[in-house]
Amino acid sequence: MGGELGSLVASLLESEQWVGSLVGIDSDPPRRRLRRAEFHLIEPDDRSRIVDVVTKFNPHVLIHLAVWEPDARAGTAHARQLTSDASLAFFGAAAECPALESIVVRSGIEIYGRAQNSLTRPDESVHPNPTSEYGRMLERLEGAAMATAARIGIAVGALRLAPVLGPHVPSPLGRLLRQPAVPFSSLADPPFTVVEDRHAARAFVAAAQRRLAEPVNVVAPGAITALQAITRGRRLPVPLVGPEWALVRRLSHVLGAPIPEHVMEVMHRGRLADGSHASSALGVEATASAATIIDRLYKWETVVRVPSQRAAA
Amino acid sequence: MADVIELPRRRTDDDDAPTFETVDDWGRDDRLIRLLVPLAWLRWSVSVGGIEQLPARTGALLVTNTRRVSLSQIYVAWALAREVGRPVRFVGRPDVAPLGPFLRRLGALLDDPTEVEGALRHGELVVMGAAPTGHPRHAGPVDHALIGSAVRAGVSVYPVASMSSPLSRNARADVGPAVRPRRKRRGPLAEVELAEATQRQLQKMLDEFGGVQTGVPPVDWLAEG
Repeated sequence: MGGELGSLVASLLESEQWVGSLVGIDSDPPRRRLRRAEFHLIEPDDRSRIVDVVTKFNPHVLIHLAVWEPDARAGTAHARQLTSDASLAFFGAAAECPALESIVVRSGIEIYGRAQNSLTRPDESVHPNPTSEYGRMLERLEGAAMATAARIGIAVGALRLAPVLGPHVPSPLGRLLRQPAVPFSSLADPPFTVVEDRHAARAFVAAAQRRLAEPVNVVAPGAITALQAITRGRRLPVPLVGPEWALVRRLSHVLGAPIPEHVMEVMHRGRLADGSHASSALGVEATASAATIIDRLYKWETVVRVPSQRAAA
Repeated sequence: MADVIELPRRRTDDDDAPTFETVDDWGRDDRLIRLLVPLAWLRWSVSVGGIEQLPARTGALLVTNTRRVSLSQIYVAWALAREVGRPVRFVGRPDVAPLGPFLRRLGALLDDPTEVEGALRHGELVVMGAAPTGHPRHAGPVDHALIGSAVRAGVSVYPVASMSSPLSRNARADVGPAVRPRRKRRGPLAEVELAEATQRQLQKMLDEFGGVQTGVPPVDWLAEG
């Protein structure tokens, strides 16, 4: 509930009639003003406190958004550890809640992987075959949620999100594309898709309300290639062939936009998914195409300057 | 820094209108195809027939005969797309850069039944080739695994007899009526029998094309068109 997506989901849940009370846990304070929700600032490794809060609350639905994308807010190893700690604590606590009916988990289309001859647009029926560390993290997360759900006999739904972009969402892909000069694979320049944070948040609310019991891809319609995105953003495209990527990755890291493995995969192999099942499973339609979301990415202010309301004395 | 380094942008009448095009859900780049099609028509002058057989909105699997190195899937797909006014994809891109990504921009799909089924379920027209032959008027065997994707997606299979010559620009692409299996099958025989029926129907259409038939493949190969 502290992250941008979590705060957005919480604020949407607050306005839902079917939601009675709402409790959120995160290691960061909420990014938005929440009126009804009760918030607890707890680190993911503080399992006993998490179990205490969750079991006392005894929820009907658990929305698990505690997934740290590598190089979004933490490095890969740290992100893996935080995600693992959080899933153990929350799923463990959820299993002790007698009222629990459903778990909704944040996952990603990275879970399908981009191995040689993998499908261009995998749908939910395709068996996960992750080829990046983030994909493997998501596979473990979904597995843990399903194992917990199977033990206590409840539904588990996984929302497999495309890379989430939004004005304040920490995203390594978004950060890379907003650099003044952006590298891209000149030999491949494959298409990828994204999802807007608001669309993803609406999908979580709908999944919780409907007690989703299956994986669903949540992606924006359409696709865009890296070069097309760079051109739309009027950035300087830097065509790369192969070996120089290693140097560019290091340089980009130094400049504040690390390129993790799963983003490298996007640049070399693309990342699309079939999101048509979401409209029937969730009743949520995307309002913006991938190209529109990329356009918005470039329209966000780098620094928002708020002028003082009255002059200093 | 991005505010300082700003690349020029094509000016349009409407500021809000998108100035750059994108690829579609399957990675097909319509703008690139619009650029390449005039070059393709320098090589092939394709006359198309039978497009009234094709569904207006739903998906369909189109099976065309393939002579070696004739690129028949590409010219058939582009000629049909020109006539029906909607994208027509073709099967058979390798998943290796740079050829694979380039063919994907041209509308190619992987030679994978699941990939083809996904496209058909989304109402796409997909051209697949029969096994290539050395003779321009022979239809090779049709891959029943790909036909199975049409069976599972619940769309019709149409034969498209194609003909081109290495010495001439003239080319033809005739769409035949949807192939109907003789009997309904519930199991895997459905796609096997449908693939065989498609090959037979395709061969029949090719026989009706007429033309030189000396029985000597190199002579027939050069004389077609």
